[in-house]
Amino acid sequence: MSDITVTKGAPPRFRSATEESPLARWAMIAAAVLGLGILVFAPLIAVFVEALAQGVAASLASLATRDAQEAIKLTLTIAAISVPLNAIFGVAAAWFITKFDFRGKAFLITLIDLPFSVSPVVAGLCIVLMFGTNSLVGGWLVANGYPIVFAMPGIILATMFVTFPFVARELIPVMIEQGRAEEEAALTLGASGWRVFWTVTLPNIRWALLYGVLLCNARAMGEFGAVAVVSGKIRGQTATMPTTIEMLYQEYLSVAAFSLAAVLALLALVTLLLKTALEIRHADQLAAAHRH
Amino acid sequence: MGRPLIHRSPMPGLGLSMGITLTMLSLVVLLPIGALLLKGANYGLAGIWETVNRERVWAALFLSFRLSLFAALFNLVFGVLLAWVLVRYRFPGRRILDAAVDLPFALPTAVAGISLTALYAPNGFFGQLAGEIGWKIAYTQWGIFIALVFVGLPFVTRTVQPVVEEIEREVEEASATLGASRFHTIRHVILPMLTPAALTGFALALARAVGEYGSVIFIAGNIPLVTEIAPLLIIIQLEEFNYDAAAAIGIAMLLISFAMLLVINLIQVWSRRRIGYV
Repeated sequence: MSDITVTKGAPPRFRSATEESPLARWAMIAAAVLGLGILVFAPLIAVFVEALAQGVAASLASLATRDAQEAIKLTLTIAAISVPLNAIFGVAAAWFITKFDFRGKAFLITLIDLPFSVSPVVAGLCIVLMFGTNSLVGGWLVANGYPIVFAMPGIILATMFVTFPFVARELIPVMIEQGRAEEEAALTLGASGWRVFWTVTLPNIRWALLYGVLLCNARAMGEFGAVAVVSGKIRGQTATMPTTIEMLYQEYLSVAAFSLAAVLALLALVTLLLKTALEIRHADQLAAAHRH
Repeated sequence: MGRPLIHRSPMPGLGLSMGITLTMLSLVVLLPIGALLLKGANYGLAGIWETVNRERVWAALFLSFRLSLFAALFNLVFGVLLAWVLVRYRFPGRRILDAAVDLPFALPTAVAGISLTALYAPNGFFGQLAGEIGWKIAYTQWGIFIALVFVGLPFVTRTVQPVVEEIEREVEEASATLGASRFHTIRHVILPMLTPAALTGFALALARAVGEYGSVIFIAGNIPLVTEIAPLLIIIQLEEFNYDAAAAIGIAMLLISFAMLLVINLIQVWSRRRIGYV
């Protein structure tokens, strides 16, 4: 066996047949990093750079103004009302769709998804036409002292429209996957309907529900197009954070606009952080598409 | 006897869940959309056509659609590449990159709009670089393109990523054993498997871009006939209390979105028939 030569050092590395060459691999990684760097990271960094252009003190002072404070308060109030309402809708719709068999189910799901494919501006327009002073319903409501458009209810409706599918869309696939067996078992054992929901269904869907609420909230606080149409942008009354950012920016108050924008950008970062944490820790209880 | 409308079921809460679902769906989504369609019906087809058939409206609709198409095409290519890199390769910072893909979903559009404008304006970081070779980005159609690429970025990646994860290595190994080069395998084995998901993501990105407002208006410059997008026209009509014209343009845009929704559904039906999953 003297013809076997022993190579010294590390054994030669073979490339697996299902891998690209190292050069192609690193070129693709570089393209991904560069692309995301320019497209995503740069705008994110720019928000904070512009906000702090005149120092932290100037930035904080602009956030302490009355307009900024009112805008933050209004945005928080709107999210606090519209997100729970959409969460209730999402749970009810997911329960109705996954626990019962009926005709037209696919059509109903399409209708629930509809707001995702309607432009936010068109959504706002729809609400103005439905509840504006010129419309039948809106005219009657205004005459009785309940204005919808250019007031808080209109902003809430517009926000709910654009965030409508978030929770339902997250829950439906999860609840389909979990089936009905556990609920049926609980019912057979004599549990009431509400008890089944609170002790069997809710614990199974809680992470998916949280995931949907998280995305719904991020969009609710940041919605601009639909809200711009229905709010009338009255300072201190119906100007939300995004519409206030627009007004400040158009008045060339760059630091004030970007400081408010930075607050929303921080919110977006927190949302992404929580979302990623949920995807890592509770992947098995989220909709299949998020399991990386 | 035909199929019953609702099957009998021992599950509780039928009335309550159906009631909440249908009431809220009607109040928040269906009635407002109905109000738009009703307004259009009162205005009449002739009236709608007269409003839409103006140079400025055609220019805006064509601009919105054309730039959305270009942006979605860019996202189609970059999104597939990104999905592949994020699933197949392990490198430092991969998780951060993965999370960053969703930033355009999470960052409010108005924030993205002013931030992109600050970057690409003639005195901005990228604007200055581009200016040195005489390339103007902000306040031109390039600016709109970049904003639309930003908002559409996550769609293709997020639809393709799960499909890349599902690909069985055996298929690639089989292809390699039969003598195919890696490029040949990717071109003829892997890409066809990704096509339905990629097309779905492409259509979603396109639909989103056509209706996009917040991130575009700051960087667009909004010059009539040149950089004025369709949603902005609706806002302008509303500010002049011209509800009929606003409704007419709104209906035109709604029809475009319905058409795209239909296309998305057809893609999904087609792909389900072809390979059994989306």
